[in-house]
Amino acid sequence: MHFARNTRLSCRLLAAHKLRTLLSLAGVVVGVGAVILSVSVGRGAEKRILDLIGKLGTDLVIVNAAPARLMIGRQRTVATVTTLTAADGRAIAEECPHVLAVAPAVRKSLVVRWESNNTTTAVTGMAADGFLIRNIPLASGRPFEADEDRARRRVAVIGPTVAKNIFGKVLPVGQQIRIGRVPFDVIGVTRRRGLDANGTDQDDIVLVPLETAMRRLLNIPYIETIYIRARGSRWIDQVEREVRALLRERRRLTEGRPDTFTIQNQMTLLKTEREAARSMTLLIGSVAGISLLVGGVGILAVMLISIRERTREVGLRRALGARPRDIRIQFLVEAALLAGVGGILGVMAGLGATRAAAVLGFRETLMSWPAAAIAFAFATTVGIIFGIYPALRASRLEPIQALKSE
Amino acid sequence: MIEVENLTKNYTKGSIVTEVLKGISFRVDKGEFVAIMGSSGAGKTTLMNILGGLDKPTGGVYRLDGVDMARAGEEDLSRIRNRKIGFVFQQFYLLDRADALKNVMLPLIYADGNGSGAARAEKALATVGLAARKGHLPAELSGGEQQRVGIARALVTDPLILLADEPTGNLDARNGLEVLAIFQRLHREGRSLVMITHDLAVAEHARRLIVLRDGRIADDRPILRPRDAETALRLWPDGPGAGPG
Repeated sequence: MHFARNTRLSCRLLAAHKLRTLLSLAGVVVGVGAVILSVSVGRGAEKRILDLIGKLGTDLVIVNAAPARLMIGRQRTVATVTTLTAADGRAIAEECPHVLAVAPAVRKSLVVRWESNNTTTAVTGMAADGFLIRNIPLASGRPFEADEDRARRRVAVIGPTVAKNIFGKVLPVGQQIRIGRVPFDVIGVTRRRGLDANGTDQDDIVLVPLETAMRRLLNIPYIETIYIRARGSRWIDQVEREVRALLRERRRLTEGRPDTFTIQNQMTLLKTEREAARSMTLLIGSVAGISLLVGGVGILAVMLISIRERTREVGLRRALGARPRDIRIQFLVEAALLAGVGGILGVMAGLGATRAAAVLGFRETLMSWPAAAIAFAFATTVGIIFGIYPALRASRLEPIQALKSE
Repeated sequence: MIEVENLTKNYTKGSIVTEVLKGISFRVDKGEFVAIMGSSGAGKTTLMNILGGLDKPTGGVYRLDGVDMARAGEEDLSRIRNRKIGFVFQQFYLLDRADALKNVMLPLIYADGNGSGAARAEKALATVGLAARKGHLPAELSGGEQQRVGIARALVTDPLILLADEPTGNLDARNGLEVLAIFQRLHREGRSLVMITHDLAVAEHARRLIVLRDGRIADDRPILRPRDAETALRLWPDGPGAGPG
């Protein structure tokens, strides 16, 4: 059989039945497109998390005052606990050999005012090292320093969201704001960082020196959080062990009693998030994969209908010398052509949908070419597999009966 | 070339056996133009299917070009149909969605050998006088032209024999004559033809007449003074070449 010649003729015959051909393709197009879109969105989420890991630094350990509670599968700290102190922070800095820097912090939601504008935001009091440890870059102005912390100076660094909310277009640096009733000088604005892994706006913040916050703003002797930077990301587990051992010793916790504090290793936390994003991608991807299978059924149905319609053509071809095998190959090739064209259109649809999703700001997306290739290969395979049965049926037609059929 | 000896064909439906061919013997030599005539139910279509390798006899011998067709497998029969037989059907059986040239090329898909299929198909179309209409779809051709495309398709593989089953059955008289004129010209050029018909006027264009009656050969004689289709066309009231659009 002249394969190329027959394939060209098949193309022509399929193209002649435009509507039917397009309908049979629809399932595959949607299936492939859906796989690509879902994987792209999923990979976008993954990338976002990976970026966060990069931004935070992978050598960050966070101690929280409250013991860990597992809520909806995630670690949460609850209630106000007053047992963590700045002294714990100093002890960690001095006694844990793999710790590079320590920044204790407190946080409270407070009203911030400038002239007649006000906004409620998360006010964090933290040691000056916190800028370095938490990797908070400034867009303008300067961070506060350790001297200013010791002197309990009333200086503040604000996030861009806060700046926009209370200053509008006025330059914030040099202005005086009130946090609660206490006046503060704005000395810097942080660079835009966007949402964190939990969806909290990292730009809706005000940072003030820790001592200032504890003594002048909140009037509390305890702290909530200690940010710790390890000497390198490979020491991160070591740091976690050292800090845990030290804090347990300082609290005289005997063996077997649970921690009264929480240590979060930022890397593990984000890894977990990434795993979650991955399995979500996989889940959506498999659902889309099933729709691809349904697309294959579409091809099967259309092929069976087309064989019914083309019985006489099969009879004619048999009379003109086509062997059953030639008929089988022809219908398999047609199924593969349908699936292949559907696959290509699907890849294009997936690309378009991915781009559209990104443009609409629905999600960060990342086009996945391997996923596109797999979806395309899968579509073609499904098409061929679902083409086998119609092809066998066509090849088993008796030429005389087939020719006589109407 | 065609040797048929004591050929029988029975159809079995449940316990009822119907004898359609009851022992037929004849031979067709190269270059003959034979008409097989009979009323419906005489077994002529069954005989045609067997001659064309589309069906197998129940008993007897059928040899085409020395090959025992009763013993040939499906693969061999397909090959023989492709290379040695050219079918012309009553209903033309053209692919609606393919133009005349593509239709004529269809058997070449299953043929050996390379070379331009399009060139061979164009030559075959020229033989039936349709070279100018190669790009037309069947729907754009008249019935007579469609049948001529069918003849071109039968000729494109350069077969040993042309088998025509009621080739004029779906055509008006004038278009029928045009088809018969082509057959007579092919016969003069040395082609072998077997034509099945129920119409004596059509059969009389051949050079030999085999009459089937009730599954047996009732008559087998040469036609001494065959009708001449071209003459009839010349004498046609509207004049030659004025067939329906």
